[in-house]
Amino acid sequence: MDSSEQNGAALASKLTVDDVDVEFLPLIYEIIRRYGAGVERDPHDTNQKTRESQDTSQKVLELQKKLDQARNQIRRLPGVEHSKEEQLQKLETLRKQLQLKKELLLKYRNMCTFDIPKS
Amino acid sequence: MASNNVSTGEKLLALIDDIELISKELIENTIAQKHQKLSSSEHLLITELLVAKDNELKEALKLANEQAKINCKMEALKREVERQDQYIQQLQRQLKEAEQILATAIYQAKQKLQSISRANKRPVPSEDLIKFAHRISASNAVCAPLTWQQGDPRRPYPTDIDMRLGYLGRLSDLPINGHLLQQQNSLSDLHRTGHPPGSELPASQQNQFAWHPSGEIHMTVGGQGSVSMDTRNHTAEDVEVMSTDSSSSSSSDSQ
Repeated sequence: MDSSEQNGAALASKLTVDDVDVEFLPLIYEIIRRYGAGVERDPHDTNQKTRESQDTSQKVLELQKKLDQARNQIRRLPGVEHSKEEQLQKLETLRKQLQLKKELLLKYRNMCTFDIPKS
Repeated sequence: MASNNVSTGEKLLALIDDIELISKELIENTIAQKHQKLSSSEHLLITELLVAKDNELKEALKLANEQAKINCKMEALKREVERQDQYIQQLQRQLKEAEQILATAIYQAKQKLQSISRANKRPVPSEDLIKFAHRISASNAVCAPLTWQQGDPRRPYPTDIDMRLGYLGRLSDLPINGHLLQQQNSLSDLHRTGHPPGSELPASQQNQFAWHPSGEIHMTVGGQGSVSMDTRNHTAEDVEVMSTDSSSSSSSDSQ
């Protein structure tokens, strides 16, 4: 459990936004263009048509794969569990916490006057 | 921005879903029969929507990039907070330890102060203490010597006989010197049982102290020379020492 979490954290820290592949448009364009070209070129050549459609379905599968991969990568992106506002709030909270702790430490360190109650 | 509560990750995933749906629609439209095809204006709209979604996705990714940087800062802050936590815990532990030590010391000091105040409330004059010490040494023993057995005349305190044997006791008997020597002889026989009573040693050597007319007492230690002691000047001081001794011992006994 712990090790798997650490693994995930390590993977997430390695993955950056630049690694996420979101270039879907060229692929979609290619699919449409190929199909369109295939239809326009020779509507009666069944052989070529089959080949084209196989090619196209290949491309569609590629697109699907690419979409899934992008989803997986996004899930592993660091720091996207919250919206930016929430994240900034959390950052501020952490800063305050750190400040408080530092103050507490200083208080402890400078606390050298001992009052002995008279009894 | 669509909504502030949706996390960036979810937004990205939703955008990808949208793109998937739109592209599916587009491809299906492309391979559909002529009469089922969308009008060109609709087609244009869908294409524009796809492009818009793609742009949105890229914007969201930029946001995600910023958030990744913020996340880095947060991680650093968290580490710092953890470090401070450790410092605080360590300090607390040390304070706790110090408190315990101080509490013990204060408790002991309070006990001391209590006994001091008790002593101040009812002061005991030193004469009383000396008297009490005398009474104890006259009749009571505190502990016996290690080799003591039943019938052993030795006592852990100086008995009257011992006191008389000492040269303090003899000081009062100075004028009757010869008589004293005889008396001491018999007493030392009684006291030192290990010594043969009919020894050929003269009385002055058998005794530990021999009185000389010069006013000095010589203590002979087994015939190996003598240690001279000046009795005239130190008598008062010796008495002082004895009385302080007895007072201290009696005070410890009475506690």
